[in-house]
Amino acid sequence: MQLAADMQRFSRPERRINGPTTTHLWSMLKLLDVLVQLDHLKNAKASIPNDFSWYKRTFTQVSIQWQDIDSMREELDDLQIFLSTRWAILLNLHVEMFRVNNVEDILQVLIVFAVESLELDFALLYPERHILLRVLPVLVVLVTSSEKDSESLYKRVKINRLINIFKSDPVIPAFPDLHLSPAAILKELSMYFPKISAQTRLLTLPAPHELPPREALEYPSHDLYIYTYLLLLLKSTDGADIEWSKEVKGNMYDMVIEGFQLLSKWNARIWEQCAWKFSRPCKDAVPSESNESLASYSDYEKVVRYNYSADERKTLVELVSYIKSIGSMMLRCDTFVADALWETIHAEVQDFVQNTLATMLRTTFRKKKDLSRILSDMRTLSADWMANTSKPEAELQSVQHSGEEGKGNFFYPRPVAPTAAQVHCLQFLIYEVVSGGNLRKPGGLFGNSGSEIPVNDLKQLESFFYKLSFFLHVLDYSVTVSTLTDLGFLWFREFYLESSRVIQFPIECSLPWMLVEHVLESQNAGLLESVLIPFDIYNDSAQQALVVLKQRFLYDEIEAEVDHCFDLFVSRLSDTIFTYYKSWAASELLDPSFLFALDDGEKYSVQPMRFSALFKMTRVKLLGRTIDLRSLIAERMNKVFRENLEFLFDRFESQDLCAIVELEKLLDILKHAHELLSKDLTIDSFSLMLNEMQENISLVSFSSRLASQIWSEMQRDFLPNFILCNTTQRFIRSSKVPLVPVQKPSVPYAKPNFYCGTPDLNSAHQSFARLYSSFFGIPHMFSIVRLLGSRSLPWLIRALLDHISNKITTLEPMITGLQEALPKSIGLLPFDSGVTGCMRLVKENLNWGSKSELKAEVLRGIKEIGSVLYWMGLLDIVLREVDTTHFMQTAPWLGLLPGADGQILHHQDGGDSPVVNLFKSATSAIVSNPGCPSPTSFCTMSKQAEAADLLYKANMNTGSVLEYALAFTSAALDKYCSKWSAAPKTGFVDITTSKDFYRIYSGLQIGYLEESDQAPSNNREVLGDSVAWGGCTIIYLLGQQLHFELFDFSYQVLNVAEVEAISVAQTHKNPHFNQGWEVVLEAMKKARRLNNHVFSMLKARCPLEDKVACAIKQSGAPLHRIKFENTVSAFETLPQKGVL
Amino acid sequence: MARAGGITNAVNVGIAVQADWENREFISHISLNVRRLFEFLVQFEATTKSKLASLNEKLDTLERRLELLEVQVGTASANPHLFTT
Repeated sequence: MQLAADMQRFSRPERRINGPTTTHLWSMLKLLDVLVQLDHLKNAKASIPNDFSWYKRTFTQVSIQWQDIDSMREELDDLQIFLSTRWAILLNLHVEMFRVNNVEDILQVLIVFAVESLELDFALLYPERHILLRVLPVLVVLVTSSEKDSESLYKRVKINRLINIFKSDPVIPAFPDLHLSPAAILKELSMYFPKISAQTRLLTLPAPHELPPREALEYPSHDLYIYTYLLLLLKSTDGADIEWSKEVKGNMYDMVIEGFQLLSKWNARIWEQCAWKFSRPCKDAVPSESNESLASYSDYEKVVRYNYSADERKTLVELVSYIKSIGSMMLRCDTFVADALWETIHAEVQDFVQNTLATMLRTTFRKKKDLSRILSDMRTLSADWMANTSKPEAELQSVQHSGEEGKGNFFYPRPVAPTAAQVHCLQFLIYEVVSGGNLRKPGGLFGNSGSEIPVNDLKQLESFFYKLSFFLHVLDYSVTVSTLTDLGFLWFREFYLESSRVIQFPIECSLPWMLVEHVLESQNAGLLESVLIPFDIYNDSAQQALVVLKQRFLYDEIEAEVDHCFDLFVSRLSDTIFTYYKSWAASELLDPSFLFALDDGEKYSVQPMRFSALFKMTRVKLLGRTIDLRSLIAERMNKVFRENLEFLFDRFESQDLCAIVELEKLLDILKHAHELLSKDLTIDSFSLMLNEMQENISLVSFSSRLASQIWSEMQRDFLPNFILCNTTQRFIRSSKVPLVPVQKPSVPYAKPNFYCGTPDLNSAHQSFARLYSSFFGIPHMFSIVRLLGSRSLPWLIRALLDHISNKITTLEPMITGLQEALPKSIGLLPFDSGVTGCMRLVKENLNWGSKSELKAEVLRGIKEIGSVLYWMGLLDIVLREVDTTHFMQTAPWLGLLPGADGQILHHQDGGDSPVVNLFKSATSAIVSNPGCPSPTSFCTMSKQAEAADLLYKANMNTGSVLEYALAFTSAALDKYCSKWSAAPKTGFVDITTSKDFYRIYSGLQIGYLEESDQAPSNNREVLGDSVAWGGCTIIYLLGQQLHFELFDFSYQVLNVAEVEAISVAQTHKNPHFNQGWEVVLEAMKKARRLNNHVFSMLKARCPLEDKVACAIKQSGAPLHRIKFENTVSAFETLPQKGVL
Repeated sequence: MARAGGITNAVNVGIAVQADWENREFISHISLNVRRLFEFLVQFEATTKSKLASLNEKLDTLERRLELLEVQVGTASANPHLFTT
């Protein structure tokens, strides 16, 4: 600090040596700028005085032992005064300048120079502009130290010009996280310099500095620029003609300049916005999180986090991406355009030196010795006379010829740029020519009318002068571009870290991350492609931390934040991608007619987004590391798809069997999403993932997670607790309290994107799924068939059949128990006793009073068997339908034709089927072609066609599951045939037997029919129609159908009632003859209808009669029943449960 | 560089400047081409990397498939009795 003040003292006299050159002016300005920045930093940061006072205290303690500490202490005191005084450097400088006289001149020159450059705004890149803006108020303060001085200043520069400049830029960035306000400087220093306090009052009212909406401004220029630039590059590649290519190169130069200016403009905008935001912290608390008080926010949060509105973030992202895209484009073309730029600059310089100056020398300056000498110096210094000689002779001739009569010298283009020294010299000399070394001239640099130089020449000189200042930037192409695209300042926040006394802010406060987050949240397809751009800010700031600031700890901070951010970003991004594809799939799978009928159908459509650009990012450069974003995303997608599958199965496991339709729907959506995504990204195949999550990859296992879940669900919940309604072909949950309480895990929670994507789509699909959630019917069976496929379905069937045979085994002792309770023989019900009498008689016979538990148990068993059989029936229907569709699809390929009688005919020619033929001929045609690259693959294909043909033909006629199940059941029943149907000894129908199964069943049937009278619809609720299915099937398979139909108690009662009704109707004695029995009779009729239905179904599907007929011997004695060939062991072809 | 003095030996300076031009043409020519060479190398690296990345991606999927197949084969060979019939 002290050193800085010293430096200032030294720098004073040196300024007066030569007339200042532009370069000189600049370096002075830069020096002043550094001083101002240091001053400002010292003012703003509390840490420096704090640290120092701590140091001083320690020093006092330590220094007691030392000698000669007085001078040191003095120095320390000085230093402390220096540190604690605001603007100490500036004040020192001011004092020093009063000692040296005549500094006002040069200060005025500096002010004039600064003001003019600012007003012209030509050839100024933003760092220079900011320097000028920072220095200007200080200069003004320094100059206007006395009344006379300020007047002389305002004579040269109108005060309004100054005020305009200050007004248009009320806040200037000083450091990345510090800002500087000229008005504040003037105001504060005006205490020491009271003369300008009058003027500063004007400045204290800052102009409303709102940032203009950028889109309208920037889009056209950005796009236009890129197009023209590319066009130029294209053009220049095929440029052969010299004249023409010179023009193109000139254009290229213009384009580069324009690009620099655009970049500079945009970057300055961002800087200024940043500074503006820092100076205007967010006043009001954020509405969304209103419960937190404003006091809880740190300053930085107020300044950054809540200070950018959504629109501002959007424009910021866009602007940053403009800068970065143009910058990277320009950097890429660096070597491509370099020689063109050099050539153009060379040409410009030579044109000026050799032609313009020559003309001027000949005309204007002929008489003025001094000036003409300067001009000829210019020529000597930079002219490239010999460039002409490198050309072929003939051309030279013609060129010289044309040059003589044309407009001066023609020179051959040479792709060499002038050196910096040459440029500086030229600048200086022109300045000399124009100003004549007189600093006190009124007006601007080129605005002085008093000079002897004609306006025309002056113009030429002026334009070349400014061009020269830009040449340096152009020549330093890559450095300029990287300066202009450096946005690292957006990250730095040390000042606020210190003032809030924290080590680091939460990541939400970080501006680059805020931008990334905004892009992800905005769901804006256009913005999404530039989502990676904000990460470039980190690159820039890391670069700055390492190269400019040389601070390892800053880099470490940045690196830590980048690591964190990028992880977060990838997970957020993949979440977004997954949600998007999920909802896309879900909205595509919604019923279109439903959408059409809907008024607000648009909310189910998905805004298209393009992730394909992001998916192509295989090399993201981040802090020197190269990251393959695509593979990261693919990895996460693989994972998230598996998680989603897992979740869906978990969810299904926590629900009952009816949820299978919902599961299928959700799986379909997932599959479709996978299909859509895998167009852009390589991820594992869906079936592979499904198999993996179903735990179904083993080659020797036929079960899967889903199949075993279905099975256990059927066993535990479905068969005991669901009842069949024969009319609707549906199973519904019985309204009774379930006998077997079912324990299920709770439904797992998941984000909406694990269902269908967006909440709207979720509710839409949910309401579809809800339609199927309370019953089990054909749609559910379709879902099961589709989900299990031919792999696990046989396993399930086998499990169910085993269940039947187990049930029969468990039923057997119970039935025996019931059999024992029956009387030895039961006769026919007498017709004369009427319904009441019959019922009484039946009750006497069925003295099962003590065995009601057993009765209920047997009924439940029969019901479960019936349920399984009916379930098989449904499965059969569905499989038939699926098979038929399949057949329709394959038949033409296999060459199957429908015959006249509806039978399937095979293709006439007896040869191969069409699919084999097709592939064979295609293969032979391709192989015969000599240009075929790999004939073997086609041969393989044709072989595979043959294999497919064989496979499909073998699968042609699949059997019926129901018939199979019935056969299995009958085989299982065979064991108990002797117990449940005693063969009559006489060989004829035994009327009075009580041991046969049908007796038990009809007793049970009439029992529960009667109970349903007393407690209406009670038993139906528990048992449903499947009891009839189970009972009738067993009866039928035992061959007792006819016996049952003849001797069933309820049938007999119905017959009696019929007869009684006729007789009553004839006699008209008592119209209310069997009052109290109508309900029972009605129920009996229903039961009879149902039983008839079941029997007819069974007859159709499992014909037994012919076998029974065959069984009548020629002697006339009927064999009771032919034994089936089938035994349980004959069904070993089905995969057994429990085998891995 | 006094204002009135100018360049005292203009001819010599002119010759020197001329020679300087020639030399710099040569230098800039070479440096530009060296830069182009490096640019090519950088680009070559970039294309190679992206090609390697796509190759890597394919290998990844293949590897996962292979793993799965290995597991499948493993289950099959762990139960040889199922295939003896």
